[in-house]
Amino acid sequence: MPPKPATAPAPSSAVQSLWKAYNDQTPDRLKFIDAFLVFLMLSGIVQFAYCVLVTTFPYNAFLSGFGSTVGQFVLTASLRSQVNPQNKNEFKDVSPERAFADFAIGSIVLHFFVFNFLG
Amino acid sequence: MLSLYTFLLFFLSLSGLLHAKSSDGDSVLILVEESHKKDFSLFYEDLKEHGYNLTFRAPKDEKPSVVDFDVPAFSHIVILASESKNFAKDITPQSLVELLSGGTNLLIGLSAKQTPLTSLASEFSLILPPPATPLISFFPERKDPPSVIPINAPASSLIISPNTSPIWFSGVPFVLGSNPLLVPILNAPAESFAADSEGGPDVLVDATERGGEGLWAGSQLSVASGFQTTNGARVTWLGGVDMLSDKFFKKDVSKGVKSGNARFARDIAAWTFQESLVLRLDSTTHHLVNSTIPQEQYTTNDNLVFTAHISRFHPRTATWEPYSGIKDMQLEFTMLDPHIRTALPAVAGSPGTYSTTFRAPDRHGVFKFVVDYKRQGWTHLQSSTTVALVPPRHDGYPRFLSAAWPYYAGAISTSVAFFIFSAAWLAGESREGKKAKGSKAQ
Repeated sequence: MPPKPATAPAPSSAVQSLWKAYNDQTPDRLKFIDAFLVFLMLSGIVQFAYCVLVTTFPYNAFLSGFGSTVGQFVLTASLRSQVNPQNKNEFKDVSPERAFADFAIGSIVLHFFVFNFLG
Repeated sequence: MLSLYTFLLFFLSLSGLLHAKSSDGDSVLILVEESHKKDFSLFYEDLKEHGYNLTFRAPKDEKPSVVDFDVPAFSHIVILASESKNFAKDITPQSLVELLSGGTNLLIGLSAKQTPLTSLASEFSLILPPPATPLISFFPERKDPPSVIPINAPASSLIISPNTSPIWFSGVPFVLGSNPLLVPILNAPAESFAADSEGGPDVLVDATERGGEGLWAGSQLSVASGFQTTNGARVTWLGGVDMLSDKFFKKDVSKGVKSGNARFARDIAAWTFQESLVLRLDSTTHHLVNSTIPQEQYTTNDNLVFTAHISRFHPRTATWEPYSGIKDMQLEFTMLDPHIRTALPAVAGSPGTYSTTFRAPDRHGVFKFVVDYKRQGWTHLQSSTTVALVPPRHDGYPRFLSAAWPYYAGAISTSVAFFIFSAAWLAGESREGKKAKGSKAQ
């Protein structure tokens, strides 16, 4: 097997080194959660941009849709921090299964309120 | 006091032909001095021919009284005693006004002499000239004294029939105030003026020296004017009762042309006694556009339909028939101020029906459908229907708006993504568990 090139290319910017470190060091499960978080953030940005640029009517629908993304983001972020193996010391009495169960129940309640307010 | 003469007249009237009837009742009381009673026989004949029962009374007589236990005893009263200074106790300006409030119609004649009725005339916004100044005109040239004046009938009038011959007049003029309830009927000729019967031309000379000030003259003066009270009763004021006398009925205006007094008397009797120009608002309804049931409350921004049915009285047949001839009626949808004021046109093909559709305003509250039709000469039509306008119920607002689909998409995509995420997470966990078990088993 030909030897790997000894010198790896030096990172040209902080962002690239951040991205490389993230890619290398983050477990796949957490990356999956992060993908979900990115999707929620994009969805929230799109709705907010529509509200600001086009119209605030109907306001209740905006609040409900935007609140749905923000609330889901918060729940998913807390799931990520509870499930992250590096935080095991912080969450001694919360098993990953318990964290996911909390996440699921919270999300279902959130969606109930969202669809009620959506009009 | 009913004399034999009156009884004869009564029975004659019953057998008389019924050409036109009043919508209000047939009993007429005629207040006339005994000495002048026979001067108006043609007028009485005309009234009886049209179905009225006449009762005669001298002004000073106590009976028959006009009010019996607070109920008016007669539908119409004609006061031909224009020069009497003393009336019985039950004929006072106040009692006449009370009779009007009770719905009795009045036909009152004035004269150059001051009577208790002169003060009543000013209550109806009629301004009378100084006492003893009748109307005088030196035109057209005629053999009669200057105080007997032929007046041309107006070209177009709601009350006087068209093509009426000139009308002989002798009496006082008056000026009409600015009361909107007044209905002018006949104005004095332009060349006439009010002055003493003796010093006619001197008055004119004096007035010219003063620049015309203080001279009662011209066609602003009225000699016959009606007044319609707010509850529908009609009063007609005549500057002189000679207009209704036999002498003037028979007098020729010019060679072979009879005077228009008979026709004029018939016309003002028809208007005063509620025969002509009488309308009635039969009913009003309101409902939603695609329904026929009136509701007690409607929602804001509803489309409402308002319908009114109006009839007119036809004296020839004494019936009320639907009338679609009103062109300028309005409907107001009012809460303190009219929020909607729209035309109420007649519905083609449905006589007597007036209908309009409009959108209820965006403001909630207690509203009224108000129809308020007041035109000179016609009966006043008034109606007010109260209805509540409530804001939409919590499920009455429009849903699934097209402006909100980004938010619908966002919320639905979040829920769908959550379900997919959970499914994938749990699948991943079970896979990880199997791997761990597998590695443990090794």
